[in-house]
Amino acid sequence: MSIIIIASDTAEIEHSIAQKVAAAMDYQLLDRRILEDTAKKYQIDPGKLADAMKTTPSLFKSLSSGQWRYLLACVEAHVLDRLLADKIVCCGLSAHLYVTGVSHALNVRILSGDDSQSEKERENRLQQRKKWSMAAYNEDETELSRYDLVINLDQIDPAEAVKTITGAAGYRKFQVMTYSMKCLSDLALAARVNVALLKTMTDISVQARDGSVIVSTKAGNRQKRKKVETIKELAGKVEGVRYVEVHVKKNLLGVTTG
Amino acid sequence: MNEQPLKIMVIDDENIVGKRLKPALEKTGDIVEAFEEGETALARFAQEPFDIVVTDIRMEKIDGIEILERILAKSQRTKVIIITGYATVEIAREALSKGAFDFIAKPFKPSDLRQIIERASKELRS
Repeated sequence: MSIIIIASDTAEIEHSIAQKVAAAMDYQLLDRRILEDTAKKYQIDPGKLADAMKTTPSLFKSLSSGQWRYLLACVEAHVLDRLLADKIVCCGLSAHLYVTGVSHALNVRILSGDDSQSEKERENRLQQRKKWSMAAYNEDETELSRYDLVINLDQIDPAEAVKTITGAAGYRKFQVMTYSMKCLSDLALAARVNVALLKTMTDISVQARDGSVIVSTKAGNRQKRKKVETIKELAGKVEGVRYVEVHVKKNLLGVTTG
Repeated sequence: MNEQPLKIMVIDDENIVGKRLKPALEKTGDIVEAFEEGETALARFAQEPFDIVVTDIRMEKIDGIEILERILAKSQRTKVIIITGYATVEIAREALSKGAFDFIAKPFKPSDLRQIIERASKELRS
């Protein structure tokens, strides 16, 4: 049993391979269809959610940076909760960027053999994804060393790629263990707290371990006490949280951040 | 029906770990021996195999991964559980590849380890 996360620079290829791997292994496929459920769960506009998954905020777009982060946090929290079930193939949800440190998650990158696009178009698309992943998670998704398995469809045909992925997923090193499940449930808890806080705040970073949560934020001297109290109250209400610690860095600009 | 008690070996160079785990694991009637040095533990294992070995990774002279390999070379049925305060994805994957039954990061509650031992016990008795 494991989680297989498939990423590619081409959404169609990513989905097609993920679907075949899920069918071959009798695993559940977790893809962009869950965004509708995410939108319902957090009562947000599904269109904005889909938009947030591919664009970065800018002065000229309707999505503010704070809203964008909140929308991504909702997706992350929802996906992580679903991944706790195990035996899942996940694609199209950028899980490879936030399911980190989980040893039973096999991260696969498919280099597309898409001949319909020119080299320049392909390069542009990669640059866009790099920009998005850096802005969203401070991770460069085009950096191949961050994946467990990289398959080049220019050299390997899709059926062989599916076989390679299912074979690798069977390696003992990718099986669930107590440590990896705990890492995943800690990530899921941190993500739930993140959603609760980002709804009304910005400059939030959350880490969780065994129900203890550390929230790092920024605040000016005047807002510091109130912000700490609010964070403790909001985070404390999240299911699974037993203890909340807040670390505040001084906001040198003196701007209120939530 | 009464089941045979499990023979459990705990190896950790931090004396406190063995001291705490031994009584906690003995509560269910299992036989527990604690060791602070890998070599002494392996010598004891050579005299008589244990059902379950719980070992730390970072220890002087012999580390937990070597203990895992040497235990499994002697007794394939023994379930080796790795405990460590320095858990990483790489170490966890290495331990599992080399045959560890499970891997748990310190600190943990004795009840967490008990659950793993119960699973190991089921496999041993199946």
